[in-house]
Amino acid sequence: MILLQHLTKRFGAQTAVDDLSFEVPAGQILGFLGPNGAGKSTTLKMLTGMLEPTSGTATICGFDLLREPVEVKRHVGFVPESGAVFESLTGLEYLEMVAALYAIPPEAARARIRQFIAFFDLSFETLTDKLLGAYSKGMRRKVVITAALLHNPPVVFFDEPLDGLDANAAVGFKALIQTLAHEGKTIVYSSHILDVVERVCDRVIIIDKGRMQVDGQPAELLAAHGADTLERLFTQLTGGTELERRAADFAKTFRP
Amino acid sequence: MTPTAGQSSPPPPPNEEAGKQADSGPRSARVALSPERTLRRLFLTLFLRGRSSRGLQKDSAPKSVGSKLALTLVFYALFGLFALFFHGQPVFALSVYLHGMTFVFLGMFIAASAGEVLFNKEEADILLHRPVTPSALLRAKVGVLVEVSLWLAGAFNLGGFIVGVTARDGGWSFPFVHAASTSLEALFATGCVVLTYQVCLRWFGRERLEGLMTTTQVFVAIAAVLAGQLMPRMMGGVGGKVTLAASSWWVCLLPPAWFAGLDDALAGSGARGSWALAGWGVAATAMVLWLAFGTLARDYGAGLQSLGEAATRRPQRRARRRWIDVAVSVPPLRWWLRDSVSRAAFLLTAAYLMHDRDTKLRVYPGLAPMLVMPVLFLVQDHGQGDKGGFGGAFAGVFIGLIPVLGLTLVQYSQQWQAADLFRAAPIAGPAPLCHGARRAVLLLLTLPVLLIFGLIAWVVRGNASELALLLPGVIALPLFALLPNLGGRGVPLSLPTEEAKSTSRGLQMIGVMMVSGILSALASWAWSGSWFGWLLLIELIVASVVYVGLRASISTARWPPLE
Repeated sequence: MILLQHLTKRFGAQTAVDDLSFEVPAGQILGFLGPNGAGKSTTLKMLTGMLEPTSGTATICGFDLLREPVEVKRHVGFVPESGAVFESLTGLEYLEMVAALYAIPPEAARARIRQFIAFFDLSFETLTDKLLGAYSKGMRRKVVITAALLHNPPVVFFDEPLDGLDANAAVGFKALIQTLAHEGKTIVYSSHILDVVERVCDRVIIIDKGRMQVDGQPAELLAAHGADTLERLFTQLTGGTELERRAADFAKTFRP
Repeated sequence: MTPTAGQSSPPPPPNEEAGKQADSGPRSARVALSPERTLRRLFLTLFLRGRSSRGLQKDSAPKSVGSKLALTLVFYALFGLFALFFHGQPVFALSVYLHGMTFVFLGMFIAASAGEVLFNKEEADILLHRPVTPSALLRAKVGVLVEVSLWLAGAFNLGGFIVGVTARDGGWSFPFVHAASTSLEALFATGCVVLTYQVCLRWFGRERLEGLMTTTQVFVAIAAVLAGQLMPRMMGGVGGKVTLAASSWWVCLLPPAWFAGLDDALAGSGARGSWALAGWGVAATAMVLWLAFGTLARDYGAGLQSLGEAATRRPQRRARRRWIDVAVSVPPLRWWLRDSVSRAAFLLTAAYLMHDRDTKLRVYPGLAPMLVMPVLFLVQDHGQGDKGGFGGAFAGVFIGLIPVLGLTLVQYSQQWQAADLFRAAPIAGPAPLCHGARRAVLLLLTLPVLLIFGLIAWVVRGNASELALLLPGVIALPLFALLPNLGGRGVPLSLPTEEAKSTSRGLQMIGVMMVSGILSALASWAWSGSWFGWLLLIELIVASVVYVGLRASISTARWPPLE
């Protein structure tokens, strides 16, 4: 469903994504991990057609990223880390605008939006009367997730989707993406909340400095590297050594 | 949402019809709005409501271009009544005036709006992964710019439509022809701005795009203002009756003359020269549009993408302190900025005035008219002896407008929500922040202008003693600079940029300009009546008393409510 071939992105002298190649089949939830600045968001932006690769390519649902970018975009949903929305639109105006970009008829879009607001426990009045700028962070995130799934895409990219969601919404969301994967959708899930990734994802890729470090099922990776948790494995692979000691040393600087 | 509900009943896929529509795309255009129309409606809505919405209710949001711009359109229509002075003149002279002023207004509007409309950083995360092409985005945005431009142009030209009918060689066809030529002019002006961006992007690359965009917009706006101030005077130089004679060849170089030629060719004298100008105008517009939306449009997508990329700079061999940091650490700035909060606000405001594209685009084009008018007064006033004091005094008092406008404009920022930090800090009120911002505006904007005016006055008049005419303005300067901070207002970078579009700011400026005019007249009278020294003394005493009162008022002001 997703196939990366030597995907590379350079910003001037800096290589953000370095020769990344992997494949994700339909129905799989892939945890895409890495420390800050590792190249995760850049990779996701390339796979959603937002950034042009410097070299290499990718295909999504059989559509080539470079030659058929609009078809690729038609078949993916994306929840960006920023959670950006047009703040001066109401939630309904925003979602109807997104639906129109995918050529979903207004009546079908409205029905679909009602399904989502029922799932996310939002009131229709909130969606029609309040501008998005007045929404709480969690409510806004729900709207962004709805906007990503509104057109029923076969491939969905989530970049820190739980940011701002309360515990109930987060639990519901995790159940949602597992159900969507069972129904055949491909999910790429990028997050720093590693215990969620460990529980939800079928497979994990960790990148650092733009290069792939490991790729496999969580349990297999833990066993292979002798780590007891994904968090421990992550710090092992990405240079997070002596974190406890450094934290203790830094805390001492707060003493009067 | 409850976990149970979420786990047991996630939303099903869209109904069959919607699913087909989503898959089939354009086939469903007859049912759903086309993506292009959707985008155009979106960008018009965003233009009307702004992109940020703290405290904005949907019910109070403007629903049409007219309601949003009502007061502005009324001003434009009233200003357009100056066309009545062209009653009985030839169509060409009237049209050059109308198109010249329209070109200025549109140039300023498009230059000020285009950066935000064409290259918005947040928009990339919302729209670039949707199935729309960069050219569709570009067309939708330009469509909105042209639509609003035509509203402004229409309001300004209302008076001209009537005057054109009664022009010496005019007639009933003038309003229709002029409407068409004005539409063409709006397309030309928009195309020029878009083309400038595309060329900058192609030639200079993404790393320098943002800085170039800022500089380009600032210069376009300043050029538009200069042209607006100078063109009527140049017209006056040829008696207000422009013909295509050898003495007025320069008219042919001005884009407004091309569109005036179109008016004259179809609804005026029909002179051969007018046909030539009209042909050139149509060809130039077609060329600009072809380049901007055809040949170079493919670069637009790359430009949008580049805004989301982190530009990398070559690392410097060793870290250098910025000159402004050095300046505040040594006297006299160190003495002037003893309070740490004021010093921080000074540095913050200075950084935004020097480096922030959005702030620069608001402040410098906004100040351009302030600089042009007094200079013209200084020059025109030259050679009138003792009776010629008004121009110098006017230039001096006009300097007072620089901090008023500058401080008013640095209140606005795209990062206005970050100003919540000021309220969270242990500061009783906004006074120290206001003081810091005021000093930054005085030092970085007002002082250079004062020096320039002084230099011009000295060079033009050739008499250093006449520099004293600037003193009434210089004495009033600290008072003017306090006005934006009264009541604890004017906190730097604390208001959303949409509020900067408020027309009430224009009304405030008119009030300040009226006070300036009165003070200038008084100074001119005192200069010619040889009691100028007494005026300065009285002004100094009054200004000192008022200054102390205003400072005390600002120092005790508390934070204004957020909403």
